[in-house]
Amino acid sequence: MSDELGTGAENTWCPGCGNFGILNSVKNTVKELEERGIEREKLLISAGIGCHAKIFDYLNLSGLYSIHGREIATIQGMKFANPELTVIGFGGDGDAYGEGLSHLVFAAKRNADITMIVHNNGNYALTTGQMSPTSVEGFKGPSTPKGSIEEPINPLMMMLSSGASFVARGYPGKMKHLTELIVEAVEHEGFSLVDVLQPCVTFNDTYEKYNESVEIIEEPAETRFEAMELAVEEDRVPIGVLFKEERDVYHEKIYPEFNPVKDKINKEERLKRVEELLDGSE
Amino acid sequence: MDRFTYIVGGKAGEGVKKAGSAAANLFRKMGRKTFEMDDYQSLIRGGHNFSVVSSSTGDIYSHYMKADLVVNIDDRSYEIHKEHLKDKGLMIYNSGDTEDGEGIGIPINDLSKEYSKSDLIKGVAGIAVLSYVIGMSKDELKKVIEKEYSRGVEENLSFAEKIYDSAEEKIDQKFELDEGEHDLPVLSGNQSLSLGATAAGLDMYIGYPMTPASSILHFFAANKDHLKVMPVHPENEIGVANMAVGATMSGARVMVGSSGGGIALMEEAMSLAGMSESPVLFVLASRPGPSTGVPTYTEQADLKFALNQGHGDFPMIVASPGSIKEAFYLAGEMLNMVWKYQTPGILLTEKHLSESSMTVDLNPSKVEWASPKEFEGEGYKRYEVTEDGVSPLKFPPSEDVIKWNSYESDEKGITTEDPEVITEMHDKRRTKAETIMYDLKEVNTVNEFGEDGPVIFTYGSTTMSVREALKVGDIEAKVVQPVYLRPFPIWDMEEYMDEDVIVVEQSSTGQFATLLREKCRIVPKTVIRKYDGRPFEPKELAEKLKEAIR
Repeated sequence: MSDELGTGAENTWCPGCGNFGILNSVKNTVKELEERGIEREKLLISAGIGCHAKIFDYLNLSGLYSIHGREIATIQGMKFANPELTVIGFGGDGDAYGEGLSHLVFAAKRNADITMIVHNNGNYALTTGQMSPTSVEGFKGPSTPKGSIEEPINPLMMMLSSGASFVARGYPGKMKHLTELIVEAVEHEGFSLVDVLQPCVTFNDTYEKYNESVEIIEEPAETRFEAMELAVEEDRVPIGVLFKEERDVYHEKIYPEFNPVKDKINKEERLKRVEELLDGSE
Repeated sequence: MDRFTYIVGGKAGEGVKKAGSAAANLFRKMGRKTFEMDDYQSLIRGGHNFSVVSSSTGDIYSHYMKADLVVNIDDRSYEIHKEHLKDKGLMIYNSGDTEDGEGIGIPINDLSKEYSKSDLIKGVAGIAVLSYVIGMSKDELKKVIEKEYSRGVEENLSFAEKIYDSAEEKIDQKFELDEGEHDLPVLSGNQSLSLGATAAGLDMYIGYPMTPASSILHFFAANKDHLKVMPVHPENEIGVANMAVGATMSGARVMVGSSGGGIALMEEAMSLAGMSESPVLFVLASRPGPSTGVPTYTEQADLKFALNQGHGDFPMIVASPGSIKEAFYLAGEMLNMVWKYQTPGILLTEKHLSESSMTVDLNPSKVEWASPKEFEGEGYKRYEVTEDGVSPLKFPPSEDVIKWNSYESDEKGITTEDPEVITEMHDKRRTKAETIMYDLKEVNTVNEFGEDGPVIFTYGSTTMSVREALKVGDIEAKVVQPVYLRPFPIWDMEEYMDEDVIVVEQSSTGQFATLLREKCRIVPKTVIRKYDGRPFEPKELAEKLKEAIR
């Protein structure tokens, strides 16, 4: 199959992995975004480290393959330097909710204009299935052979209480819906997070559980608190945009109309301004 | 009178630092050259802070700890600085806090009581007394206050006048200072390096507060609209360094900074920058370590740490300025270096250089504009193997796909585990390291001061102390200061290999001396070390040097 969004790199995800659905959704997202006027050349991606991150090698898009949890900081740097770019970060639950947690919370807090897609599979798959921040209590892995003794964190609650201006949950089993979510997240001006319930067929197969329990919600909650109520539901698992609000974005608050890379002041003017500071220095 | 030293001391929150910087500006206006060292503690109120300002009509590279005039705002200051008064010096104490002091008591407490900021305003007394004893008129003092203390200027003027009157009534001694011929800006090391990087085309400064690097962040935050260098203060140093890596991919010239502990947190990203070939300039402003150490004081114990940053093999450039003036040019040069070679670089400095201030003569147009080798043509490959190991850059938006990678990757930036490609890419980075070394031979990598006499090796801020010590001690010697520390300029060292050299540094274990031994078999005869957090005092150092030379 000819695939202009692929790179030809050999795909090494396990057959049936939820990541395939995410990869396809992202490819469809890119096409949809192009139709909506967001050029592919202006898209930049980054990824953490883990099974999810292999998506970086499988997508023929520009970007930087970052390190564990730091992709959240990487894409903010890309965006602040040149706000005309659209940036998307891929993280695992270990990346975004563990190692890179502080970056995620602060990106939400400052409303950085970025999109994070978290492949939440409830374990550290690439390192052979240890427990992760979202592993359920009792989860058995090589570091918890008798079952995890910790409670999982609820990433959507955490994001909602961190001030995230766009919080969504998707499921690769509902690929069309997931694509719509990612498109909306990317188009959202400000911080957006899509937590994707990614079944891991080898270490944490959740297909059956989620096929039975996910339920698409058509409209976001009216308030942050109502969104929190959706986020903690357990019998049914609501997917869709849980919360969305308009808020000023970080880089525009620093420079409302200045792009550090594109509008860079030329050498002559820069030197003049340095001289001015030297003359005025007291 | 040529050289003149003024000390002002008091509690934090009594305007001591301002009384120091205002004095430095006052001497500058007299055409003199100045050096100011602020000694302050890691606290916001109380404790003991002082500023020393030495000035001269000629070059001056250090403060002196024997003062002609000491103004003490509290009793603790008076007790501490008794030993810092010159033989014929003038000691001013606060008669509201010190009873039966030796010297002249000025009722600073009584006179400041009526003002809204009765503590903070006390520092103005330092300037008012100084103005009087160097023969300035009340009108001239008024101008100084209006300029230096513009916030709440009415109260400041009123208080300054009262102190001046009291000084006039009580003080007989005056100092006649020679006017100089200079009109030079007074800059701190951090301001100087910030401006140097700015002149080289810096686009962003990303930092998390940590003394003594915080004032770089403050500088860019205060000047963001004028200089258009974007200041970012993220959640932690890990965020700092990784944002920087991301920003370089978008094409921004980025500098980050911290002290040892913060750089330790950035080390993961330093290695990422090495692998992904991201041109990030790191400023490491040292304080005494290990760990939290002594936050607001100085030491040179991060040399080995700076030289050995990052896991894995990758090229890195480390350089350290030997004066506040050199900090300006070297910051610009280092920004050029990291962009030319697409690899991380560290500008290593210490609190003594970062936060001391002096008059500097700068020419910004001498700084080169940092520009990378950019790709032209078709079939872009981010990590294209080239003769010199440097792959041309291309920035988004671009029709070509540009992939930077933390994993080992092929030329296109796609992750690899192929043994041949791994070898090829290692060779590419090693070639780049060789290119850097080769090119550095054309760069001024070592400063030398003086021609004859015994050889003294030093580096960083200690260079300033050594130069002043030689001057005041009238010692003939040749000072050798390596500016670049990695790659270490061994090609310039041959002539010293069998020499009896003296090493001066501020580390307890002699890290610099060890480096000289390891890199170029220079075995120091004497290593003069100081590791009490305070910079060398020129006269004391001169004595030590004389002893070593004898």
